[in-house]
Amino acid sequence: MLTKKQKTFNWVLAVFLLLLSIFFLFPVIWMLANSFKPDAAITADMNSVAAFIPPALNGNYFENYITILTDTNFLRYMLNTLGYAALLIVLGVIVNGLAGYALAKINFPFRDQWLLIIMMLLIVPTETVITIHFLIIAKAGLLNTVIGYVLPMIVNPFNIFLFRQVFVSLPDDVYEAAQLDFCSPVKYFFTMVLPMSKTVVATVSVFTFLGVWNDYLWPSLVFTSSDLLTAQIGLNSITSNDNTTMGQTLAVITLITIPVIIIYALFSKQIVEGVTSTGSKEG
Amino acid sequence: MKKKESILGMAFFGPALVLLILFLFLPMVLTLVFSFTDYFALNPDMTHFVGLENYINIFKDELFVKSFFNTVKFVIIIVPCQCIGALVLALAINKVTHCKKYFKVAFFIPVVMSLAVVSTLWMDIYSPEGILNTMLAHLGISAQPFIHSAKQALPSIAVMSVWQGVGYQMIIFLGGLQNINPALYEAAEMDHASGWQKFKDITLPELKPLCVFVFITVTIGAFRMLVQPMVMTGGGPDHSTYTLVYDIYETGTMNWEMGLASTMAIVFTVFVVVLTIIQNVLTKGKEEKKHVNKKAKNI
Repeated sequence: MLTKKQKTFNWVLAVFLLLLSIFFLFPVIWMLANSFKPDAAITADMNSVAAFIPPALNGNYFENYITILTDTNFLRYMLNTLGYAALLIVLGVIVNGLAGYALAKINFPFRDQWLLIIMMLLIVPTETVITIHFLIIAKAGLLNTVIGYVLPMIVNPFNIFLFRQVFVSLPDDVYEAAQLDFCSPVKYFFTMVLPMSKTVVATVSVFTFLGVWNDYLWPSLVFTSSDLLTAQIGLNSITSNDNTTMGQTLAVITLITIPVIIIYALFSKQIVEGVTSTGSKEG
Repeated sequence: MKKKESILGMAFFGPALVLLILFLFLPMVLTLVFSFTDYFALNPDMTHFVGLENYINIFKDELFVKSFFNTVKFVIIIVPCQCIGALVLALAINKVTHCKKYFKVAFFIPVVMSLAVVSTLWMDIYSPEGILNTMLAHLGISAQPFIHSAKQALPSIAVMSVWQGVGYQMIIFLGGLQNINPALYEAAEMDHASGWQKFKDITLPELKPLCVFVFITVTIGAFRMLVQPMVMTGGGPDHSTYTLVYDIYETGTMNWEMGLASTMAIVFTVFVVVLTIIQNVLTKGKEEKKHVNKKAKNI
């Protein structure tokens, strides 16, 4: 039974957190509200609470968004990024998944040593090797190509490790039964192993998508041609254009964030589990 | 049969291995080798072995030293704010009984936004006639230059980074808090322990390995600071927000001085690896102790 004191405490805490969360989110609220306004209104509203309230619904309500989607290449950049993400999800699940399966279930020379090396590779920060990636891709003449962008990002030691941890606990007898059926190992992997491990495939896919969608450094190095830009790099080229108004800038960054919000809403369980497991695994 | 399995294993592991060699082993070896040369990517034929010269020169290079200390400043501001902020938020949200779900989402929202988006947004927030200065004016505080002054740019970016990142560690702490055995609190309540005693004697010790983990990951994250100054200030004003990774990036990919860039990258990597090893030692040590304690109790 809660005492009266505890009840009051709960309410005070909730009100305090509510106020804190509103203050915490003021940049986001401001961004959303003003992405629907022309610049004159943004400046005029700045001095009052109206700065945090969207304008009344009128004919110009979505003007910033329409300008961005029709007058700039932004839609193209978003579709580019979606395409790269899809490609990297497919390639990443296949390459890292096969490797994880080999490390988990197949006896091949130096298997345990490979696993140890892959776990050690997890420590190396990407910033260390990114200049060399750039050098390799430039020397290979692959700058400004999709292949040049995708190639260094397919393999991911962390995902190999993740797959391996899940595949280890798969039952062996299914594999033996499949062999009796003359099921080829590759077919077995795609028709049995991956469908049995939907959770890890989903987790890896979600994190690959978020990584590709939010990445800044690597695409900014590889892509200079405006046909291939990702949304994050395109954002930079749009906002640095003098003709872009503040309202349009706010509309662009809102648009960029929408797909990520959708992914988080759909997969929040996997994401929270992924985030907390990085903590509990090492902690 | 055994040979067949070896071939199958290598066939499955092969594609990943080729890519690992090409994009992880080879770059690591090249970085190490280049760090002892004056490799200039636009004129690779003129490369000489220079021994430790680069390692001595970068520490004489004013810009590198400045970028190093800027990075340290970022770490010093971000790490305590983000770690303690995340812990306090997690404790409060774990306790709160109303709208728990809303609070979890609210403080996590900035994590969802990308570094480039957050940086672009805060450029407007921090602008001289921006919303933050307008709000400060209502409180009677005069307009601040924020990212436009050499003095305030670094702390401004640091505050923004904490704002963006704190929700991530909050979720990690919340996970940890939920894993604490409730029986421990029940036992403490029977002994009429105060809230502070419960926090000090149960919550903190149980969360300790997680605290170490969060502390080190936030430190490494702050060490890697690059996109925010790149988008917001271009490293300025007066190189006041130029960071270690920014220097590696510009030296390597803009000036093509791969030798120097590699040396900086090695120095950076050594820091990160040392931090990671410290974390592993600290958390592993704790876990073993826990096991020993458990065993002792069983006896």
